[in-house]
Amino acid sequence: MDPEAPDREWKKGSAELLILSLLEDQARHGYDICKLIDARSHGALRFHVTSLYPLLYRLEERGWIQGRWVEKAGQRRRRYYSLTRDGQKVLAAQRRSWREFVAAIGRVTGIDYA
Amino acid sequence: MPDWKEEVLRRLAPLKLAPARELELAEELAAHLGDRYDELRSAGIAENEAREEVLRELHNADIVTAESFQRAGEPRRTATEPGAPKTANPLLDLMRDLRYGARAVRRSPAITAFIVATVAVGIGANTTVFTIINTFLLNPLPVRNASELVAVASAETKTGAPSADLLPVSFLNLRDLQRRNAVFSGVAGYTSPTTMTLADGAGSRRLFAEVVTANYFDTLGLSPAAGRFFSPGASGPPEIVVSYAAWKVKFGGAADLLRRTLRINNVNFAVIGIAPKGFMGVNAIFGPDVWIPAGTARELLDSELRASLNSRGAALFHGVGRLRPGVTEAQADGNLKAVGAALESEYPDVNAGRTLEVRPIREALFGGSQAPMLFGSIGLMVVVAVVLLMACCNVANLLLARAASRRQEVAVRLAMGANRGRLIRQLLTESILLGLLSGLVGLAAGVLGNRLVWAFRPAEVAANLPDPKLDFRVFAFTVAVALITGLVFGLAPALSASRADVVEALKEESRSAGRSRRAVSFANTLIVGQVAVSLVALVTAALFVQSLRRAYGIDPGFDAGHLAVFMVNPGELGYGQARTEQFYREVRARVAALPGVSSDTWSQNMPLWGRVGIIQIEGREQRSKADAITTITNTVDTDYFRTMRIAMLEGRDFTADDRDGALPVAIVNDTLAKRYWPNQEAIGKRLKFPGDARFRQVVGVVRTANYSTIGEPPQPCVYVPLRQNYSSGMTLYVRSAREASSIMTAVQHEIRAVDPQISVTDVRTGRTIIDQGLWGPKIGATLLGVFGLLALGLASIGLYGVLAYSVIRRRREIGVRMAMGAERRSVLALVLRQGMTLVGVGLAIGIVVSLLLGRVLSSHLYGVSAGDPASLASALGVLLAVAMLACWAPAWAASRVDPITALRES
Repeated sequence: MDPEAPDREWKKGSAELLILSLLEDQARHGYDICKLIDARSHGALRFHVTSLYPLLYRLEERGWIQGRWVEKAGQRRRRYYSLTRDGQKVLAAQRRSWREFVAAIGRVTGIDYA
Repeated sequence: MPDWKEEVLRRLAPLKLAPARELELAEELAAHLGDRYDELRSAGIAENEAREEVLRELHNADIVTAESFQRAGEPRRTATEPGAPKTANPLLDLMRDLRYGARAVRRSPAITAFIVATVAVGIGANTTVFTIINTFLLNPLPVRNASELVAVASAETKTGAPSADLLPVSFLNLRDLQRRNAVFSGVAGYTSPTTMTLADGAGSRRLFAEVVTANYFDTLGLSPAAGRFFSPGASGPPEIVVSYAAWKVKFGGAADLLRRTLRINNVNFAVIGIAPKGFMGVNAIFGPDVWIPAGTARELLDSELRASLNSRGAALFHGVGRLRPGVTEAQADGNLKAVGAALESEYPDVNAGRTLEVRPIREALFGGSQAPMLFGSIGLMVVVAVVLLMACCNVANLLLARAASRRQEVAVRLAMGANRGRLIRQLLTESILLGLLSGLVGLAAGVLGNRLVWAFRPAEVAANLPDPKLDFRVFAFTVAVALITGLVFGLAPALSASRADVVEALKEESRSAGRSRRAVSFANTLIVGQVAVSLVALVTAALFVQSLRRAYGIDPGFDAGHLAVFMVNPGELGYGQARTEQFYREVRARVAALPGVSSDTWSQNMPLWGRVGIIQIEGREQRSKADAITTITNTVDTDYFRTMRIAMLEGRDFTADDRDGALPVAIVNDTLAKRYWPNQEAIGKRLKFPGDARFRQVVGVVRTANYSTIGEPPQPCVYVPLRQNYSSGMTLYVRSAREASSIMTAVQHEIRAVDPQISVTDVRTGRTIIDQGLWGPKIGATLLGVFGLLALGLASIGLYGVLAYSVIRRRREIGVRMAMGAERRSVLALVLRQGMTLVGVGLAIGIVVSLLLGRVLSSHLYGVSAGDPASLASALGVLLAVAMLACWAPAWAASRVDPITALRES
């Protein structure tokens, strides 16, 4: 079995939550999201171009986030994503279930996050 | 910095995403990679290394599938790479192209509206003209098995060459043919529509009637819309069949018409049937109101027609035959020639040199007017095609500008391996879609145009002319024109767009992406062409207007002012000669007594409707037909020259003593006198018409007038006195002291006072006669004027478009110029010069072409030379003014460019 595989699966499961969380307080473009995940996870979590964007489109497709082209003086044209009303609800629900899931895992494995 | 977009696009290519999606994606990913690259560089990493690093990220991919980038519901592109197998489903391709095209059309409603409006005008004009052609020329006889029908005509045995027109057959010859032929299941005859008088309450109305053989409708294979047709051999009260259109229009669709009796030319007729809808006789252009069988018609016919029923020499009938099954036209012709030869030997005095022949029925449909109709339709078609072509040019210009702005998009797709042919097809689909949209609007415009054209149909003969035929053929024509139009105005822009240089276009910033040099020069050529066409049309229109103005100043040789004419035909009422002559005398006496009438007379010819005849001059007997002297001939009453104000040059006027039994006399004009008796006294010379038993003595010479058209070259003319040449129909000429219109009603009242049944068939003032004489040039001037203005409008729109686009493209350059100290005035001049140079070249070409064209048209122009400076100057003036206006707006906009803004934008 590919030793990398579990890592990938973890990421997939949590990626949606990560992105929605980052967009909660402000609209961000793809590169910004990438950087933030990298920085806040101290390099433990890293998204590649080819996985981040399909995910963004999927979320947009579902109506959880919305992309908008923005042109700022002296900068490239970028697509900024923001959380929609639906997205906010989904984020709240996912946070709750993630918390419950982690607590359950903790209880089973004895890992304590406190 | 590396071109990330290109890198991304290359990697996305195999996914075959929808084009729009692909471009958006490429831009987003490129921005991402660019950011990453910038970051690496600012962290001090060398250019090459940074690039490698970024690209590695792109490679280091999780599993990427098309689905991961594809939005739901978005179609995927199918294989378009060169070398890839052909698209599995071309229909799918088409659907996608259509969808793409529809999106593009929706995206720019203003441009779409402009294109549709411009092209719809052109298509509408084409549809209108085609409907006219469809109605008159492409209208087959609405009869059973029309292919079995042929025309039967007389033919000259001597000349051998077929005559241009169909020669009519005499009634008696036709009757013999009916009995003797072995090739027809039926042969019928019909005359041309002739006017008759219908008693209508206290007054009377004019009707057109065709005298036909009793088997006419059966031979044609028609069934009546109501009632029945003539039964051959029937004897009883006179019967009549009414046309469907006349029933609807002239008898108000009366339900009881079949039970009515119509009194026509003082004979009572029982209406026995109504012809089927759409049938207006064999002639496709002008149909009768009623059909009268030859057997019962004798009493009501005028003397000429009546005589023709008994004389083998008077050929007034046109023949139509239905071939027996299996008989070819050639066989029928052979049989007819045999019958013709037999008739020739049996009646050598009248049938010598004559035989019978079969001609295609098509020739009977148009009579002698087939060639002019065809010529006229082609001319009209060419004119409207040019209008449409100009509209196409403008649209092509507009699309070229747009193609330029789309170069990047196109280049990206080419870079991704889109196949060029496929791309052209897609762009063409878009323009054809626009064409079809315009076609739809154009069809509506065409229907309106037809209403307009048919509204010009004189109400009196509306039932005798065909109704416009707006059928599937018109629809198919419009659709075809729309398709071709879309192709024409889309082809150049599509080719130009697809020729985009991939590398160049991708490097360019979108703002500076201009037209290629080739596109610009093509657009300029279009403008030059349009200016030239407009000038030619305007100059020609101006020539016609000038020529009209001169024509009204031309002396026609008679005084048309204060003159009125009234046409009557007492012969139609079955009047004999004595009664008709009595009628002529009485009318003249009554009218002369009216206040305000200074003189009146009778004349056989209407002014400018000269009849041509052959004369023999004593001492110049003709040895062959080539020697025949043709002149205008007219039968006139006393006081004719006084009433017409034609000067007597020598001799005397006709008097009341120039009557039957007295010495036959004639008056000639000075053209005839000078031509045939040069340097001699014309008075006392003698001439005669072919039917005359004795020579006529010339007793007077009058000034030459215009007899057929205004401004014509002098024609010889012979006048003979009415009292020596009885005619059953004449025209009353009245000269009034004041405006001719003041006596019109009173004169008609006096005519009716003599006999209320007499219908005055034509009433005109001298002024309307001149107007009608100039009808041709007037129509020419109007058509060309309208066409010229349309062309001018289209050319200025095109000019404006090209300049406006160029100003937008050169904004930055203009900004730089102004920043460097160029004045607004010089910027204005710069743009104006650009536009007016195009106009100048167009004008130069236009002047040359119009001079050449003017020479061709010179025979239709009165006293105006092809190079008439006034016409040229006025057309040039109008064109320059409008062109200046079209250039001014973009030039002004250019001079208002704010250098700071323009430079910041770049």
